[in-house]
Amino acid sequence: MSRLHSTKTFVMSTHLIAAALLLALAGNASAKGDAVAGAAKAKPCTACHGTDGNANQDQQYPRLAGQYADYIAQALQEYKNGERGNAIMKGMAAPLSHQDIDDIAAYFASQPGKLHDLSHMKK
Amino acid sequence: MNLALMFAITATLAVASTSASAKGDPVEGKKLVYTCTGCHGIDGYKNAYPNYHVPRLGGQNEQYLVNALTAYKKGERAHPTMRAQAESFSDKDIANIAAYLSSIGTEGEK
Repeated sequence: MSRLHSTKTFVMSTHLIAAALLLALAGNASAKGDAVAGAAKAKPCTACHGTDGNANQDQQYPRLAGQYADYIAQALQEYKNGERGNAIMKGMAAPLSHQDIDDIAAYFASQPGKLHDLSHMKK
Repeated sequence: MNLALMFAITATLAVASTSASAKGDPVEGKKLVYTCTGCHGIDGYKNAYPNYHVPRLGGQNEQYLVNALTAYKKGERAHPTMRAQAESFSDKDIANIAAYLSSIGTEGEK
């Protein structure tokens, strides 16, 4: 009886730890970039990517609205450090700090858009 | 009359196939995209080292997708897995993949 009880307590505390870890991770992700600050910093981007990041005007530019924030941030870092070679984006990303990049990424990720993953193909 | 009809059909087919190859054929693209779903078809799937979500591709702009895949193919983008994938594609494959990915709506299959 007491062994059963301690097993139950153990399982419950494992669940609690898992939940706390998830919360910490989620908090961390949202704390990274500030979408409101990003809106102001993203002004130069909107000329090509659209005010809401949907890039409806010109098909050569990617839609950013609704893209994962950490992917947008990764792409900007790669343009900045040369892992992606694109003359326009290198120039745009060069003056941005880590915080600027995270804020801009948070802004575009928060905008409603048409992007979605391909999980429908696996069903 | 039969000859004229046949000529008309042949001409229409020729025009249709020419425009498809220039712009990319979503039906052909769909056959190639199954490989992509290994990473891009899992909601929330993350790249490792560095750790970030692989991008959402459904509904992305067609010409951008062509540019991005071509950049991986030419080595202008460094990601090793994407370079390996893109190197195996012809320009026509890339156009077809871009045509399919850009054509799918938010509810998935159109």
